[in-house]
Amino acid sequence: MDKKFQKIAAIEIIVVMLLWEGLAYFQLIPTYLSSPTIILAAMWDLIKSGEIISHMGASLYRSMFGFVVVIIIGVGLGILAGYYKKIGNFFDPIINAINPIPKIALLPILMVWFGMTDTTRILIIFLTAFFPTFVATRDGVRSMKQVHLWAAENMGASQLQLLYKVVFPGTLPKIFDGLRVSLGLTFVMMFSSEIIGASNGAGLGFLILNADLVGRTDIMFAAVAFIAVLGFIFDRILLKVRSKLLWWDLNQA
Amino acid sequence: MKNKMPAIQIENLRKVYSSGNEDVLAIQDVSLDIPEGKFVSIVGPSGCGKSTFLHIVGGFIQKTAGTVRIRGKEVEKPGPDRGMMFQESALFPWKNVFDNVAWGLEVQGVPKAKRKEIVEGFLKLVRLWEFRNHLPSQLSGGMRQRVSLARVLAFNPDVLLMDEPFGALDAQTREEMQVELQRIWSESQKSVLFVTHDIEEAVFLSDRVIVFSGRPATITEIIDIKFDRPRDLSLYKSSQFRDYRNHIWDLLHEEHHKPVTSTSEVVNG
Repeated sequence: MDKKFQKIAAIEIIVVMLLWEGLAYFQLIPTYLSSPTIILAAMWDLIKSGEIISHMGASLYRSMFGFVVVIIIGVGLGILAGYYKKIGNFFDPIINAINPIPKIALLPILMVWFGMTDTTRILIIFLTAFFPTFVATRDGVRSMKQVHLWAAENMGASQLQLLYKVVFPGTLPKIFDGLRVSLGLTFVMMFSSEIIGASNGAGLGFLILNADLVGRTDIMFAAVAFIAVLGFIFDRILLKVRSKLLWWDLNQA
Repeated sequence: MKNKMPAIQIENLRKVYSSGNEDVLAIQDVSLDIPEGKFVSIVGPSGCGKSTFLHIVGGFIQKTAGTVRIRGKEVEKPGPDRGMMFQESALFPWKNVFDNVAWGLEVQGVPKAKRKEIVEGFLKLVRLWEFRNHLPSQLSGGMRQRVSLARVLAFNPDVLLMDEPFGALDAQTREEMQVELQRIWSESQKSVLFVTHDIEEAVFLSDRVIVFSGRPATITEIIDIKFDRPRDLSLYKSSQFRDYRNHIWDLLHEEHHKPVTSTSEVVNG
């Protein structure tokens, strides 16, 4: 993002906030729409009391657990399915059948199996976030330049060396494209899995649900803002890691 | 010549492509010896299967019948006894020039200090040592192919296989590369099998030019090129050079009147 664009983005946000604040101040919008200062105050209260730590911690635990499993299984299986035709042929029909299902539809089934537990929540996060990474990795491997693989074989690389020294780095740009989509879905599903089911326990979803029960729209907005901040920070972290690992990819950024 | 055994020995090599229910004969029982230390080129009409032929020698494409031996040892799959240079750059874009050239040595377990010594030697040979920290994407096409050559030489193969390595370069860079290749080749003393569609390139570089017929590929003629080395670009203007060129041109031109069995080609060439 260049400097000029960053400036415009900042001005845009400030203008919207001021407008919102102004409308709320002169009571031109209903109170349930809250206002930026009220929301900020609610956020500050949550931080000061330390309450937010447990909610964020619980939510991040679920989403990051799911995301790490996506990285390991999604990338690992994607590479194998992309590289070995037989493995690819085995997985393709399964993947094609499950991919179009909205995974949230499986939540009631998972609840029957595992109850309303973290296992259920992490599973639904994993199931949703798995596909973009798996598909991007698999297709990335399949679109690798043949001469890179040939050159490696020519130089005497073993199967294993071929996979982790050529196929993996060669596919990494595509893997990150998939991971970025998966990371976004991770946060969506973290939230979705927390607002369905029992409203006791910790998590940003629960915070919203509980605030709703007592009519505190400011806290509801505050929780949404925290999720937005978390999502933004983690996306930035992912982009940082990507530009570190893909320093050689002069086309990116 | 170090010994009587040819560097590359090809016997009755045949390649049939099956496309649907139709079999296309691409290479018809070609036998060929590349003597140790010689530079041998294959020229042929576009799509005749000369590139396929080279890829089979490299072990990248499966043959239908026949044998390929490198210094007497039969080969089936790719291996570091044959160094292949591809038409398009096969350098890894995620590795800098140094690490690309060191790659083959690394996977073969050559210790780091030894690796550096070898890589430095070959990068200096191709005059690109100052560019060791550059990425392939930061180099020109000609420089990339020089790095590719250094990479192939670094793991010390018995023979070099070159598939139109200068095919994607402009005419002037191409001529520079031909002079460079001759210099590097004469220092390395490797046996080379070089595929090109450029008759002049083949005559300029080679001790021997093999003329392939159109599909299915068979050997039309084998021509020994008797010029002293080192050769320089002024050779292009000599009448003897033009005689070789015209003779080969005629051989290839006759091919155009033969019916074409198939226009499809799996590997370009």
